[in-house]
Formats: sequence, C-alpha cells, structure tokens
Amino acid sequence: MQPLKKIHEPELAGPFPPDMHDVRHLWLKGGLLLAWALVSFVAAYFARDLQAFVVAGWPLGHWIAAQGAVLMFIAIVVVYCWAMNRFERQDAARMAALTIERAPSHG
Amino acid sequence: MVEPGGAGQGGDDKAYLWRLHRIFALYVVGVAAFLILMAWAEQQGLSRHWIGPIFLFLTVMVYAGIGVYGRTTDPEEYYVAGRRIPPVYNGMAAAADWMSAASFISLSGALYLQGFSGTRGQAGGLAYLLGWTGGFCLVAMLIAPHLRAMGLYTVPDFFHVRFGGRWPRIIAALAAVLCSFTYVVAQIYGVGLIASRLTGVQFEIGIMLGLGGVLLCSFLGGMRAITWTQVAQYVVLLLAFLIPVSWLAYKQLGNPLAPLVYGTQLGKIADLEERLLDSPAEHQVVVAYLRRAQDYEARLKDVEGALEREREKARERVRTLRDQNADVGLIVSASRELVALPRDAVSARERWTREMRENYERARPLGGLPLHSQAYAGNPDGSPHERQEYELTRRNFLALMFCLMVGTAGLPHLLTRYYTSPTVAAARSSVAWSLFFIALLYLSAPALAVLVKFEVMQNLVGSSFDTLPSWMAQWARVDASLLSVEDVNGDGLVQFGEIRLGADLIMLATPELGGLPYVVSGLVAAGGLAAALSTADGLLLTISNALVRDLYYRGAPREASPEQRVILTKFTLLSVALAAAFVAALKPAEILPLVSASFSLAASAFVPVMVLGIFWRGTTRQGAVAGMLAGLGVAVYYMLSHVAAMRAWVGWLLADGLWFGIQPISAGVFGVPAGLIVAAVVSRITRPAPALPVVRSEM
Repeated sequence: MQPLKKIHEPELAGPFPPDMHDVRHLWLKGGLLLAWALVSFVAAYFARDLQAFVVAGWPLGHWIAAQGAVLMFIAIVVVYCWAMNRFERQDAARMAALTIERAPSHG
Repeated sequence: MVEPGGAGQGGDDKAYLWRLHRIFALYVVGVAAFLILMAWAEQQGLSRHWIGPIFLFLTVMVYAGIGVYGRTTDPEEYYVAGRRIPPVYNGMAAAADWMSAASFISLSGALYLQGFSGTRGQAGGLAYLLGWTGGFCLVAMLIAPHLRAMGLYTVPDFFHVRFGGRWPRIIAALAAVLCSFTYVVAQIYGVGLIASRLTGVQFEIGIMLGLGGVLLCSFLGGMRAITWTQVAQYVVLLLAFLIPVSWLAYKQLGNPLAPLVYGTQLGKIADLEERLLDSPAEHQVVVAYLRRAQDYEARLKDVEGALEREREKARERVRTLRDQNADVGLIVSASRELVALPRDAVSARERWTREMRENYERARPLGGLPLHSQAYAGNPDGSPHERQEYELTRRNFLALMFCLMVGTAGLPHLLTRYYTSPTVAAARSSVAWSLFFIALLYLSAPALAVLVKFEVMQNLVGSSFDTLPSWMAQWARVDASLLSVEDVNGDGLVQFGEIRLGADLIMLATPELGGLPYVVSGLVAAGGLAAALSTADGLLLTISNALVRDLYYRGAPREASPEQRVILTKFTLLSVALAAAFVAALKPAEILPLVSASFSLAASAFVPVMVLGIFWRGTTRQGAVAGMLAGLGVAVYYMLSHVAAMRAWVGWLLADGLWFGIQPISAGVFGVPAGLIVAAVVSRITRPAPALPVVRSEM
C-alpha cells in the first residue's frame, strides 16, 4: 500500500456524466468481484457440504465463513490497489513518453 | 493528535507524516501505561466502584480533549478534514467509524446465540461477520475511489453533481437521514447500556452522559476532530476486544492467539452439546418451560376470564399473607405482583402472547440455541419439514449477508470517510487499511463466542445457585431481558436451558465470566463506549450535513457565509442528537435488528443508483429518482408490512406473509433489484440525445 503521496490530479468536481471506464479496469473489477462472490456466496451456499472436510482441526465450512473469507476479502482489496496503482504508473509513463516524442517536433 | 495548519508538498508531507506517527505512538504508549497503572491500583485495593467510572470519564475526556483541540469553523476542515488524512489513519478512523456498538457489543453475542447461521426466523451468526467485511470489496472497487475523484463533500452531493436538478439530491438526503438516524439510535442505546452498568446510574442518565461525549467531539470540530478522535477510539476498542479474548484463549488453551487456536474448542463444544442434549436435568427444564407456555396458551383462550382469575388469585394471596401476619416484605411483593398484572384484556393478550412465545422458544433443547458449528438448521436429507427448514435458513442467511454487504457500500457515514484522503489512490488504500483494521477485531469475534460458550458449558452449567457470581445479579438488575437465570426445575443447580443471555450482554460480561480482573471489565466497557461513540459521531455529522448542506442551503439560494453554515450545521447536530437520545430512551428494539434495518435501507436507496450512475453513462435524472424511490419504497414497505402495529392500522394495504420466506430484516434483497431495474428502465425511456464521450484513464 502506498504511503501519502501527492499526485497532482485536478480536484475535479465534474465533468459528469462519468468518463468512459478503461477496459482493463473493468476486467480487473469483474475478475475480483467474481472471486468475491465465490468466496462469500458460493462458499456459504455449500457450507453444509464443506463442513464435512476437517482440515487441521477446523471444519472447513466454518473456517471459511469465520476466517478464510475475511482474509480473502483483504487480499482482493489489496490486489485491486496494487493493480490500479500499476495501471496508473503505466499510463503516466506512456503519457510522459508521448510528450517527449512530441516535444522535438514543436521545438 | 492534530495536524499542523497547512501540509505542503514533498518534504513537508514527510515531516507531517512523521509528526503524526510520533503523536500516535505516544498515545498508544499512554493508553498502555494507563492500563498498567489501573491494574496496579486494583491490586493495591482500589475499589470496583471507582474503576468503572474512572475508565468512562477519562476516555471520554480524552476524546473530548482531541475534539476541542481540533475545533474548526473552516468548511473544508469541517466537512472533509482538509482532505489530507494519510491512508493508514484514515483506515483506522474508518474502522472505528464502522465498528459500532453492534460490532463490539453484539456481534460476539450474536455468534454465541446463533452459532453458524441462526434460525430461519432470525438469520444471523456468521452472516454479520461476512456481510460487514465483504462489503468493503464493493466499496473499494465500485464506489469509494470514484466518489473521491469527484471532490465532493457529502453523499447526496454525488446525486447533485451527477444528475443535477433538485429531486435526486433531496431524496438522497432524506434517505441518508432515515438510515443514519435508525443507526444512531442503536448506538446511543449501547452508550446508555454501558454507562448505566458501569456507573450504576439510570439508563436514561447514562444516555445523557454518553451524549455529552459525542457532542463535545463532533459539535466543535466536525470531520477533522472526529477523524482524530476516531483514531484514538480505535486504539481503545481494539485493545478492549483483544485483551479479554487473548486472556480467555490463554486460560483455556495455553495460547493467547485466539483466532489461530480456537478450532479445537469447536469439537469440545460439539461434545458438550451432545452431553447436554442427553442430560435428564435439561429435559426437566424443557418440560417446565413447556408447561408454562401451555399455561399461557390456556389463558389466551379466554383472556377476560383468565385475567379475572389471576387478579382474584393475587388478591387472595395478599389477603392470606395479611391474615397470617406474614413478613412485610412478602406482603409488599405479593401486592406488587397484583399491581403488575395487565390492566386490561388488550395488554394482557399482548403480554401473554409474548410470554407464551418466549416460553415455547426456551422449551427447546439447549435453550433454543442451534448447535454451534452446524451450518444451517434442519437437515437437507431429512423429512420434508427438515428440508424446508434447511432451505429457508440458508436462504435467509444469504439474504442477510447480501443486505449487509450492499448496505456497507451505501452507508453515507462510511463513504464520506474516504472523502478525507488526499488522492484517489490514497482513497483506495484507505479502504484496504480499513478492512485490515476491522479484520483484526472481526477474526477474533467468533473465537470469543466459542471461548465464552465453552466457559459457560464447562464451568457455569452444573454449579449451584447459591454460589452464583454477583455480577449476574448486577446485570440482571440493569435489564432482566439481558440476563436471567432461574431454577426452573428446582434442583438447585444451573442447567444450560435455565440461563438466558442477551446478545448485547455477552461481550460486556466476558471478563467477569472468565474470572478476569475488574480492570478488564472497565476496559471492555470503555471499548464498547468508544465503538458506540465513534460511530455516533460519524452518523450525527452525516445527518446534520444532509439536513443543512443538502436540504436547506441547496434547496434555495440563501445568503450565508461558510462559517454561518457550519454554525447552523452544529446546532442541527445538537438537536438531532437529542432527538436520537429521546428515541433510544424508549428502548425500541435490540441493537442488532435496528442496525440491520438501516443497512437494508441504505442498500436499497443508494447503491443501485450510485453504481449505475458511476458505470453507465445512460443513467438519467428521472431514472435516478425513480430508482431511488422504488428501492427505498419496496424496502420500507416490506419492513413495515411486518410491524404488528402497522398491520393493525392499514393491514389491507400491506404485503401478506413473507415473500419467498425472507425475513423483513433483509428487505434490501427486494429493494436493491427493484431500484436497479426501475432506474435502468426509466433511464432507457427518458434517454436524451447521446453526448460526445471523453476518455479519461485515471481512477
């Protein structure tokens, strides 16, 4: 997680209706939401069946609902932060490269 | 814990951050030193009458001190804390804001009473845990960074900026007030509960005491003061939760890391439950409760006559006691019983129905508690009745989880917390930090429930009524519905079925139950208070901002300087707080149901339209208004349909019975899709000519 870092983005109060969302961001969100649904709703739906498996003294269904899912949620949010920061860095680098390429033609 | 006037860039930022870290470390050391000092003082013989009030008074004073120190009338500071709270502290503040009295006081209790999933009539258990953490995935990905990128001040602001016009904003503001008010009542109820137990004052006075603490923070300083008090409160509430859990785990299992080791106790509890199910004494208790329930049922067949008979019986008893020249105390208690009888047939019917239901409830094995680690009641391979029981329990469990998750993404007081972060990236990591800080406590909550249950089953059950610890009587005095122990089968021993613990009690009584020093009780109470106060602060600020900023000033252009607006907001906050205290003093319901209801409301009112507004450019103003009204309308309608008083009033209008067997508490299950569909359809119909798209890759 990155510490306090001022990125000089405009404090925009619009323009709205919203901008188009980057397709990569949407795929990332979609994938992570799928993982979220699997670990919460699907796992809870089959909790009774999972309860039969006992791993290291824990009935699996209970463990997932009490701890595993929460740890998974944290992982999902952290992955999202990391990936988004990475996308933003890539975009910034690409923008920088574009301006450098363009600069000589102007000068 | 207050930041310097203006944080600059680069080097200043670093210095600012270090300054915050230093102050925070000093504060943590201070809290620890205070705890050690109190523990030492208790050993030296400091009376229990002093420990509780000292804890309450000192912690509230610290919060108030931070509130006074962070006072401000600058609007940017008052509404969004100057937008420069670093993610770690923002996460901590959000965690404290999030973990309310419901999390701290009631969650472990609910897990104790409901086990894995609760029953079909009252889903719960781990659904609360999953719902209150899983929702953050939605907040992180779908909502918080997008709202932060818009540079807003309140949640209704989003509807104003995105959709324009008056109605989206007005409806959003009213919905924010509605769900936050329901929520804040539950918090203030929790404050009253703790204060009255620890200081021995009346419940109502306890409420007023706690209210003073809330107001000192939020009244003076707005978001800035609240942020730093919440950070301070988080430290207290985390310590207050982890110390008793670790202590109990160490006592029972020899390892203080409770979440890692409590699995073995699950097996032991299953064995104890089996033994209790076979125990003849427990069967006697069940039979005794059954007899009582049948007695009430018989009375209900002829309410008038039964009431007359009961009165006659009570009068007869008083008369015979007088004739015998019996002890005055006996006569007084007999006449008090006579007075306590219902006044008329209507109230008699109401009370007896309740008593009958309660007794039937308790006339079940294990006092009506489900097996602790069994997922869902009933049996998927059993008789048709059992199969249906299983199906309905599971459905209600999933429904409640859904409402809590989606509600998390819609509760205004949480979302405004992410407005205070410096950048969009910081808003994202703030959410991650919040979830981390919340999980620290939530991973231990099921452990606590298991450890307490083991303690009760192993040590309390089977002990003699003469040697009952004194704390039980003290709690029973605060409110009989919190704790009652009665020798129903008359053998002088405590049976599991004879103990009834309220969900709101278990955490607060844990230290006494486990035989921990009284300092820990004081700390737990202080933690519960911190949890309730921090949430109440955030909620009150949200309500007053919605009323003043979004309804009053945006409603019509009014001449007012920003300072005047802030002052008006402060006074609105004061009156809202008093109103909430008044409602809480009526003790409308337990904490958990109130809180869950406000989640369902927030989920249906905000989330569908907010998500559509952020991700679908085609959402129109009319669509937003229709979607919010439909979502909120369906949720409120379904909830009110099952309130007895409403049924008597306008019964013909209301939904008959349950839809798909879903309990009214999870009304959001119907509200959210209704809002989504209506918003989408109406937007489609009222769609304007397409505008040119602008691509922006941030966020």
